[in-house]
Amino acid sequence: MKMLFAQGPAVRLDLAKKLLLLNWPFLALITAIVLIGIAALYSVAGGSFDPWASRQVMRYCVGLALLFAIAFSDIRWWLQGAYPLFILALLLMALVPLIGVESGGARRWLGFGELSFQPSEMMKIALVLAIARYYQWLPPEKIWRPDALIPPLLMIGVPALLALTQPDLGTAALFAIIGGGMMFLAGVSWFYFAGAIVAVVVALPHAWEMLHDYQKQRVLTFIDPETDPLGAGYHILQSKIAIGSGGFSGKGFMHGTQAQLNFLPEKHTDFIFTMFSEEMGFVGAVILLALYLLALVFITFMALRCRSMFAKLVAGGIGLTLFAYVFINVAMVTGLVPVVGVPLPLVSYGGTSMLTMMIGFGFVLNAHVNRRVTFRQSELGGLW
Amino acid sequence: MRRSKALHYGAKKKPDYVRKQSYRFSRRALLVGGAQAGLFGLLGWRLHQLQIKEASDYRLLSDENRLMIQLAAPSRGSIRDRTGAILAEDKENLRLLVVPAFSKNLPETLDRLSRIVDIPRGARDRVMRAAARQSGYYPVLVAEGLTWRQFALLNVLAPQIPGMQTDRSSYRKYHHARPMAHLVGYVGMAGKEEVDLDPVMRLPGFRAGRAGVEKTFDEQLRGTPGTLKFEVDSRGRVVRELGSTPSTPGKDLVLSIDHHLQAVAQERLKEHRVASIVVLDVETGGILALASTPTFDPNEVVFKVDPKAWGRIARAKDQPLQNRAIRGQYPPGSTFKVVTALAGLHAGVINPRETMSCPGVYRLGRARFRCWRAHGGGINLHEAIKQSCDVYFYETAKRMGIDHLAAVARHLGMGRVYDCGLPGQKEGIIPDVAWKRAHLMEPWYGGETVIAGIGQGFVSSTPLQLAVMAARVATGRAVLPKLVLTPDDPEPDWPALQLDPSHLAAVRSGMFGVVNEPRGTARRSALKIPDVQMAGKTGTSQVVNAYNEHKLSPYERETHALFIAYAPADKPRYAAACVVEHGGGGSSAAAPIVKDVMTEALLRDSAKAPAFVGLSRDEVARQVAVAGDDG
Repeated sequence: MKMLFAQGPAVRLDLAKKLLLLNWPFLALITAIVLIGIAALYSVAGGSFDPWASRQVMRYCVGLALLFAIAFSDIRWWLQGAYPLFILALLLMALVPLIGVESGGARRWLGFGELSFQPSEMMKIALVLAIARYYQWLPPEKIWRPDALIPPLLMIGVPALLALTQPDLGTAALFAIIGGGMMFLAGVSWFYFAGAIVAVVVALPHAWEMLHDYQKQRVLTFIDPETDPLGAGYHILQSKIAIGSGGFSGKGFMHGTQAQLNFLPEKHTDFIFTMFSEEMGFVGAVILLALYLLALVFITFMALRCRSMFAKLVAGGIGLTLFAYVFINVAMVTGLVPVVGVPLPLVSYGGTSMLTMMIGFGFVLNAHVNRRVTFRQSELGGLW
Repeated sequence: MRRSKALHYGAKKKPDYVRKQSYRFSRRALLVGGAQAGLFGLLGWRLHQLQIKEASDYRLLSDENRLMIQLAAPSRGSIRDRTGAILAEDKENLRLLVVPAFSKNLPETLDRLSRIVDIPRGARDRVMRAAARQSGYYPVLVAEGLTWRQFALLNVLAPQIPGMQTDRSSYRKYHHARPMAHLVGYVGMAGKEEVDLDPVMRLPGFRAGRAGVEKTFDEQLRGTPGTLKFEVDSRGRVVRELGSTPSTPGKDLVLSIDHHLQAVAQERLKEHRVASIVVLDVETGGILALASTPTFDPNEVVFKVDPKAWGRIARAKDQPLQNRAIRGQYPPGSTFKVVTALAGLHAGVINPRETMSCPGVYRLGRARFRCWRAHGGGINLHEAIKQSCDVYFYETAKRMGIDHLAAVARHLGMGRVYDCGLPGQKEGIIPDVAWKRAHLMEPWYGGETVIAGIGQGFVSSTPLQLAVMAARVATGRAVLPKLVLTPDDPEPDWPALQLDPSHLAAVRSGMFGVVNEPRGTARRSALKIPDVQMAGKTGTSQVVNAYNEHKLSPYERETHALFIAYAPADKPRYAAACVVEHGGGGSSAAAPIVKDVMTEALLRDSAKAPAFVGLSRDEVARQVAVAGDDG
C-alpha cells in the first residue's frame, strides 16, 4: 500500500495575505548588513561613493526586486522547476570551459554582451532546490536505504567535479558543505556521515602522497605563512596586522591606515572584513558577526515552522550557504583557513555574490510565506 | 489512487513516518544551528586574540610605520671539480631596485636614477610592466652589477628618491667557463610556470638552474630563502629590523670532472666545427671529461639584463648551447663492429679462428653492399676488427639476425639514457624487429640487418653511450657513468657482463691491433708513452642516403669521424669516445684527438689522485677565519 502525504487543504494565498505573512524583521536585518557593507565600501574608497558604494546600492535594489518577486511567487513553480533549473545550471557550467570568458587566470564567467554571470553561482541555488525537491519526493520510510543516497550524491558530485575543472576548489568545497548539510537535515542516517568521515580520514594520507610537490608546498605555506611571506602569506600577514591593529574599539570610521594603503588588491571584495575590523575594532567586528548569526537564527526558525520537507530544506540549505560564506571568509582573513577567495555575502563589493544571496533569501521568504503549504503526491509525479 | 481496504480490518497502524521525519528535521536543524553558533564563537575567539590580546604587537607594526617583508635569497651552493677547483660560485652583486608603492611617480624616479645608473629602454619598460602587474610592495629590479661608486652614490641619495632601494645580493660566476659550459650549465630567471608554482621565484633576481648540473641539482644547490622584516617609514626607508629568519645556503656539489683534462679536450676539439669527446674512468664510471664544441660562455647568459646576448648565443651557427656529447645522435659506423663481433661470438655464429674472404662487395639476394676496400682472403676476427672489414661483419650480422645484435648492444649500455645528473640526454636507437614495427609500422628486412652490422642504417648513438660501451668492453663489467662525487661514495662494484671472457679477449686483441699493429686503421695514433698502449676502434659513418643527397651542402655530405678507445690496453683505466661531425675518416679526424686527450689523462692520471671531497661550509668558514681576513 502506498503511503499518502498528510493532506492539508491546498492553501492558496493572495498577495495581501502574502505581504502580511512576510518576515519583515528578517528583511530589516539583511538591509542592516547591506548598509554596513555600503558604509565600508564608502570608507575603502577614501570617503567617496565612487566607485564602489554607489554601485552596491544599485545592486541591492536589483537584488531586493528579485527577492520580492521570488518570495511572492507560487512555491509549486519552484517545486516543479527545481530539476529543470538544476539541469540548466549544469549545462551552463559545462559550457564555461568551452565559451567562457577568462578573468584573472580562471574561466568562471559566461558573457552575454554587457552582462556576465557565473553559472557556479546559479548552481548554488539550483543545488539547494534540487536536493530539497528530492527529499520532498523520497518516501520518508525509505530514507535509510543506501540506494536512496545515489541521486543526491550525484547532484552534489557532478557540479563539484565541474567546479574543480575550472579550477575552483572553494566552490567545489562549498557544494559539498551545502549538499552534505542538507542531507543531514533531511534525516540521512548518522551512520553514513560517520562512515564518510572515517573514509576521509583514512584517505587523507594517501591523498597527501598523490599531491604534487608544489601543492604540498601550498598546504605547508598555509600552516606556516612565514615561509612564504611574499606569496599568500603576505596577504594573510597584512590582513592580520590590519585587524589586530584595530584593537578593541577600532581606529574609527575612515581612519583605517593599513587598508587605505593598498596593500591588498582585494580590500573591497574578499578582504573587506579586514578593513571593517580595523576601523570598527573588536566591537564592530563582533556586532557584524552577531548580525549574521541573528540572520542564521531567523532562517533556522523559519525552516522549523515550514510544514513541507521542500520548504524546510530550501530554507535550511540557504542558511547553510550563508553560514559557509561568512565563516570561510572571516576565517580566511583572520588566518584560520587558507586563502580561497570567498566573498563576504552582502558586504563585499561584487554583483554576483550579492544577487546570489538575495535570490537565496527570496527562496527562504517564499518558504516562510508558504509555511502551511503541503504537497499532494500528484503534484510530485515520479522523480521527474 | 485507491485507498487500500486493509485499514478497515483493523490492520496494525503504520508508524507516522512523515511526523517522525519532521521531528528529526527539527532536532537536526537545532543541532546544525548550534554548530554554526559554536563556529561563530571560534571566529569571535580569533578576533579576540588578534584585536585584544595581540593588539599592541599589531598596532606597533602598523603605527605610522609599515611592515616590510623581504625574502633573503639564499646563496647558491658552489660547484667544484674533482680537484676542488671552483667551476661555479655565487659572487656579490650590487643591485638597484624600486618599490613602486613608495615611489610617488615611478617614471620620474626612474629618470632621476638613470642619471647615475644606465637604464636601457628595455629595462625601463620591464620595470613599468612589472610595477603594473604585481603588488606595489614587491621590489622590482632596475639594474644590477653596479660598481661600488654607483652603489655608494645611490645610497647617499636614497633619502631624496622615495621608493628606491639598493641591496647586495649575489650573482653566479663561472670559472673555466667555456670548456665547462655544457656540463655545469647555467642559471637564469625563473620562467612563468615556475613562478606560479613557487612564489619565491618572484624574488628579484632569484635564479634557477636552466641547464646542465645547475638544472639537475637545482633543489640541492638552491637552498631555502630566509625572511627579513623591517619597519619602514612613509618613504620606504628602513627604520629597524623586526627579527628575521636566516636563509639556508645551498649545498655544494663536487663533480668527477677534471677541469684540466676538460680544457685540453676542448682545446683539441676546436679545430673542427662540431665535435665532442667523452673520457670515462672505467673503474668508477666517473666522467673525467665531456666536451662539446662549439661552446659558449655561461657568464654572458647569467646577466640577462640584455636579452640580445642570450638570443645571439641561442641562435648562433651550429647551436653552441647543444651538448653534442649527450645530445648528438650519430650512426656509430665501424665502432659498432665491436658490438657485432661480441654478439656474433655470443650467438655462436662465428668463432675467432674462422676466416672469411673479402672481395670488396657483399651480395644478399640482388642487393650489393660494398666494403671500403677488398681485403682479400683469410680474414679472421682479429684482422676484421683491425682492418675494419665490412664484409666480415655483414655476414656476422646476417647469420645471427637483428634481435640478437640489438640485445647485446643494449647489454653493452647503448640505446638508453643514464641517470647521472646530465639533463637532456638523447637515447639513440638500437633497432630491432619490434622497434621497427612500433615506430615505422613496417616489417624488418634482411638488408637492414646487414647494414646494422656495421653501425649504419637505423642504429644511432651518442658519444657518451659509445664511451660507456668502450668501458664495458675494456673491463667486462656493466659500467655506468657517474658525474657527482659525494664523500660517502661506495667503492664501485659493477656486475660482470654476461659475455664469455674469451670472447671479450678476442675482441680486445682486435682493438689492440687497430692502434698498434701494421695495417691497423689507427696505427698513426699510437701513444708515445713508453710501455703504455691504447686499444680502440675507428668509425666513419655515412650521412648521405638516397633521400637527402640532393639537399645537402658539401660540408653536410662529408662522413662523420668516430673513434672509441681505452688505455692502458693491458690494464684499462680510461675509456674515451670522440665524434667529429662531417670530419671525414675516423682515423684521420677523431683518433688523433683521442690520442692526445688520452695521453693527457694517462700522464695526469687524475683518476688515481684522491678526489676533492666537498668541505662543509662551516669548515670553510673556520679556515677563512683562521687565515685571517686578508681579503
